[in-house]
Amino acid sequence: MNDQLPSDDYVAIAEELTKHFKSGPAVVRAVDGVGFRLPRGKMVALRGPSGCGKSTLLNLIGALDRPDSGKLIVDGVDVSRLSGGGEVAYRRRKVGFVFQQFNLVPQLSATENVTLPMEFVGGTNGASKSRARELLRRVGLAQDRHERRPAKLSGGEQQRVAIARALANEPPIILADEPTANLDSKTGRLIVELLRSLRKEYRTVIIATHDADIAAEADIILEMRDGRLVGDAVA
Amino acid sequence: MKTMRRGLRTILRNPLRTGLLVAVLAVSVGLALIMITVNEAFAKRLDDIRAQVGTTITVRPAGSFGGGFLGRGGFGGDPGGENPATGEDSTAQQATLTDDALADLSSIEHIASYSRRITSQYTGDELQSTTIEPPEGAPAPNGAPAGGFQVPILVTGTEDPSSLASLGVEDAQIVEGRTFNSDEAQANVAVLGQTLAENNKLAIGDTFQLNTTTMEVVGIYSTGTQFGDNSLFLPLETARTMFDRTGEVDEVDVQADTASNVERVADDIRAALGEDVADVSTELSSFEGISSPLSDAKSSSQVGMIAALVASAAVILFSVGLVARQRVKEIGILKAVGASNWHVTAQFGIETVVVSVVAALVGALATFPLAQTVANGLVSDPATSGGPAGFSGGPPGARVFQFGGPVGGLLGDVDVAVSPEVFLYALVIAIGLAVLASVVPAWYVGRVRPAEVLRHE
Repeated sequence: MNDQLPSDDYVAIAEELTKHFKSGPAVVRAVDGVGFRLPRGKMVALRGPSGCGKSTLLNLIGALDRPDSGKLIVDGVDVSRLSGGGEVAYRRRKVGFVFQQFNLVPQLSATENVTLPMEFVGGTNGASKSRARELLRRVGLAQDRHERRPAKLSGGEQQRVAIARALANEPPIILADEPTANLDSKTGRLIVELLRSLRKEYRTVIIATHDADIAAEADIILEMRDGRLVGDAVA
Repeated sequence: MKTMRRGLRTILRNPLRTGLLVAVLAVSVGLALIMITVNEAFAKRLDDIRAQVGTTITVRPAGSFGGGFLGRGGFGGDPGGENPATGEDSTAQQATLTDDALADLSSIEHIASYSRRITSQYTGDELQSTTIEPPEGAPAPNGAPAGGFQVPILVTGTEDPSSLASLGVEDAQIVEGRTFNSDEAQANVAVLGQTLAENNKLAIGDTFQLNTTTMEVVGIYSTGTQFGDNSLFLPLETARTMFDRTGEVDEVDVQADTASNVERVADDIRAALGEDVADVSTELSSFEGISSPLSDAKSSSQVGMIAALVASAAVILFSVGLVARQRVKEIGILKAVGASNWHVTAQFGIETVVVSVVAALVGALATFPLAQTVANGLVSDPATSGGPAGFSGGPPGARVFQFGGPVGGLLGDVDVAVSPEVFLYALVIAIGLAVLASVVPAWYVGRVRPAEVLRHE
């Protein structure tokens, strides 16, 4: 990575970040002293085999989990010290999630799923719906799919809705955890292309994947092994 | 789209599950509402009974039964005081109640008023009594005079003639004239029973001789019975003078200030007069014994109400707990995309409120057709729960006090009127249950870490 950039140009900075889990008598070192500096507007691939700690690292960056030790600063926020309302505000404004299983709310339509994060920040109903439709158009979801519930959408369509939802509050970072794992290769490529396109909006996209082809599309590759980063490369 | 809409959508997402939950909850809430309604009906009926019983306490000389005149040779007794069954002098065994003894009543609290009475049998020949003819062909009872049974004429002296009830005859109605007034405490005036007046061809304003005293008829009453209408009433002091019973009292009607003080006042009177001097009885204690099936049913309905409410709370707590566990992933997703604990808990709360309110309304509607049936089932058969049917305590001259018939009627006729207030109760129960049930998701949502519930997807 480029250490010469001013710190304001790094969207995420981690130092000695650690997260361990107890599994019976054993301790799983999911994230073990990780450090990195990620510039804005780049696509970052977090590559490694299953169980190497990719998802845990994404969860720490997304404040879905708390680190045991170390420091993590995202867009000027010290995530490692967040709790309660601070965590909630951070999730609303700073990060957007795209999950492997899409994780849409099943009883809500595509549009309603996208308006959900805007509702939590107090957006008005009309404005939220209008923006949700615009986002769905941007991610390429056909107009006639906008009011369908997730069960009536294909996997690729659901993932497009998930990406639109992640973009709802215009976060600087999009965290995508194996976003193509449940999709066919053609759809997977389209989704990766969609995520890549977000760089134009000066957003940083971090994709956790064990797929070398997807990683090859990234600007930066972080290789993880047993909870540690073993190298990085600029694509 | 806001939290409310999301909550409603979730409810409609699984109509079968929601329907079953509403049905089970409606049964338990409905049962609670029925029990509340029935309990109110029972309480109202018990209050009605107490109100009808009134606040009267009867004080008689110890050993007398049904009226002081019995021990003085009245109906079925021995004028000379000799008991025909035992040959003993019954007057010797009976305590005497006097004005001096009754002076202690003035020091007892919660006594609103009291009135004294004496009753004696008229044995002169100036008045013609009623004769009850036996049925045709029936043999004359042993000892009965040929030609039928002559009803004794009872003369009652009372000090409070301002109301018919004070005349000592239940259901008496003045059919002509009036009762005594306060200026006639020692006057030679009389109120006659209708039968006695007719037998002696007496009308209002007429005079007649009674133990050599000339009396004026000021009123004629009717009770509808030959026995009750063969009597006459005089001012207390007039009767005392006429029968040479100055200072004596056969019966005192004491009025307590409230129904709740009746037993307390009765105890105080027993203590003040002594149980060897006076027999003190209340109508309330008699009615409470008879109304015990209703009291038992009221207690049962209270227990049923509590059990139904506990069951309702258990149903909704269990259901909400189960649903929260089933939807842990959804909770994780909502929190991951920015929902606060409050947002998620509010959604669960709305779902719980809607389910509770719908169930409570269904339960409330079920109350209308079922409450009366449940009430009837809770009260024992009045025919077997009432007192000895048809028993009449006391002679015609004393207060007629019927057990069985009227009281049994009170028990057997509990009218459960379901008021619109039942919907208010339903709403209160629904909101109470929802608030209670919201504790579960609030606690659960606060514990959910999105990373943990989304990790093993």
